[in-house]
Amino acid sequence: MSADGEPSSRVAIGIAFGNSYSSIAHTTGEGKAEVIANEEGDRQIPSILAYVDGEELQGTQAKAQLVRNPKNTVAYFRDFLGQEFKSIDPSPCHQSAHPIQSGNSIAFSIRDTEAEESNNTSVSEIATRHIRVLAASAADFLGKSINSAVITVPTNFSDAQKEALSKASADAGVEVLQLISEPVAAVLAYDARTGTDPSDKTVVVADIGGTRTDIAVVASRGGIYTILATAHDYEYSGTQLDKVLVEYFAKEFLKKNKSAEDPRNNARSLAKLTLESEAVKKALSLGGSANFSVESLSSGIDFTATINRTRYELLAGKIFAAISRLVLSVVAKAGLDPLDISDVIMSGGSSHTPRLARNMQSTFSSAAVHAPATSTEALNPSELAARGAAIQASLISDFDVEDVRESCHPVVTATAHLSTALGLLCISADEKSHGVFVPLVEAETPVPVRRSKIFPVPGAGGDVIVKLCEGTSEVISKPVEKKTKPETNGDDDDSDDDDDSEEEEEEIKEKKWKHKATIAEAAIRGVKKGAKIEVQLNIGPDLAVTMVAREVGGKGGVRGVVPAS
Amino acid sequence: MATKVLPLPVLPADWTAPKDFKVVGALSKPVTREIEAVGPHFLAHARRKRYKRTFSEDER
Ligand SMILES: Nc1ncnc2c1ncn2[C@@H]1O[C@H](COP(=O)(O)OP(=O)(O)OP(=O)(O)O)[C@@H](O)[C@H]1O
Ligand SMILES: [Mg+2]
Repeated sequence: MSADGEPSSRVAIGIAFGNSYSSIAHTTGEGKAEVIANEEGDRQIPSILAYVDGEELQGTQAKAQLVRNPKNTVAYFRDFLGQEFKSIDPSPCHQSAHPIQSGNSIAFSIRDTEAEESNNTSVSEIATRHIRVLAASAADFLGKSINSAVITVPTNFSDAQKEALSKASADAGVEVLQLISEPVAAVLAYDARTGTDPSDKTVVVADIGGTRTDIAVVASRGGIYTILATAHDYEYSGTQLDKVLVEYFAKEFLKKNKSAEDPRNNARSLAKLTLESEAVKKALSLGGSANFSVESLSSGIDFTATINRTRYELLAGKIFAAISRLVLSVVAKAGLDPLDISDVIMSGGSSHTPRLARNMQSTFSSAAVHAPATSTEALNPSELAARGAAIQASLISDFDVEDVRESCHPVVTATAHLSTALGLLCISADEKSHGVFVPLVEAETPVPVRRSKIFPVPGAGGDVIVKLCEGTSEVISKPVEKKTKPETNGDDDDSDDDDDSEEEEEEIKEKKWKHKATIAEAAIRGVKKGAKIEVQLNIGPDLAVTMVAREVGGKGGVRGVVPAS
Repeated sequence: MATKVLPLPVLPADWTAPKDFKVVGALSKPVTREIEAVGPHFLAHARRKRYKRTFSEDER
């Protein structure tokens, strides 16, 4: 390994490299993640390279070449890395350089030098050039050259794709310290913000991008992440939303200009229409209406038009509904009910769309939906992957790459997880005869784990029993109780002000814990009136449970072990 | 949603056990899954696993 690879000389950044856009991020001296703007001021840098008389353009400048010079403009190439030609879907490249077969990999035939003839430039080489420019932008900002990175990848990236990406990056002089999965990077970006120990959560990450939508259900237990289920969709994402507007504006144009050529039938017109439709779509995430304006759209005719958000949401309704269905299907695949989800993290550029976030809020009524439209505290969905990557880069930049590789090995990562929640049986306020299960350790928690909780004792104190149990949850439907008095309190700042026109239903669903089996019992005797009992569970790697229960501030207590079975 | 922690039950009068603790069951079978090698808490987990340390040994 070169001297550059030594931790001491390392300058590492986080890179999110998507098919549509890329972002670069670093962590500040205080450990805060920050996305870097490139020389053009972009934080979302189109993953596009274009060549004009041998000069290389990247990002927004390259994207503009989709109109003038599409044959020498390479876009939507990330997923092609490490793939064989026969297994890719080339359709995202309709309006740019087409991928071709080259040996057993993929290339683009482009004029990327001053010479007249075209070169078959491999997708790997394209990725290298793109990463080189990204690293140069980061170096420009940080004032020192970049030699390593953590890069995010989809959860369904194959080993061959990962290898190809690592190699492409290394060829750009950027050693990949670790590839981390996109949804986990998004969860980390949120967790790192609070600085406190993260609480146990079951999170849906909805990453709605340009050419793909990726959903993951992630169990987060004590800040350790386990992916429970995933799904990938290439049909309902940002590009399709652009197409909805392309169709709409093309028709509007033809209504007003009956004899003009259909802009969808001319490559240059279609490129202009597509670029402007994307801009309109983004504007509709912020405002109630947006203007479309293209000079010489077709047959030399300029076209301007306005669309409001309601109309757009109607036109795109099918796509929004399909995304909601996809998310629900992944939750079911994880064996969970929507009420088990505590957080929905909206990631990817299309997650700026207010309607998509609101739909998530009605689908997951009991969850916090982290998106600009549903929470004032949300992070920018377009930045989550890059931020997470930067945080991970700062965590591991002192490590030898070998050590990082070792800790990613299944020997370390394959871990036993509790299949059933573990907790105590407590007295319920209303159902006196039955106890109520109170979880201390949720299902899907990896071991070893340690948890403790403080419990009150019944009124007079005396002798109490600590019943260690397994519990399962079930979702029950309850008829809605009509409230006689309107609630006046509980109106906190960040509550959604336009409580959507959600129809009031006859029943509401509720998650309830059920006692499944008792594992152990302990007695705490002579407890003072009003005292509290602290119960600590320590579950070892072999699943032996050590329980310690004692009166807070008191002496002694009871310690017992449930041996591994 | 109730966030108040409920009280522990009263010990039945006839309950006895040596050292006031008894095992009456066993945990359900666990599932093996891969945890993600990401974040500060994973690094702590990996360190404990590697050096075979317990939580309290690790904190020292
Ligand atoms: N403010 C916004 N409102 C709506 N859509 C947006 C907004 N900003 C970006 N987008 C859309 O998000 C998509 C890009 O998402 P992202 O930046 O996550 O790209 P990506 O990960 O490279 O995508 P993929 O790999 O799926 O092609 C584009 O379709 C873009 O138009
Ligand atoms: Mg993406």
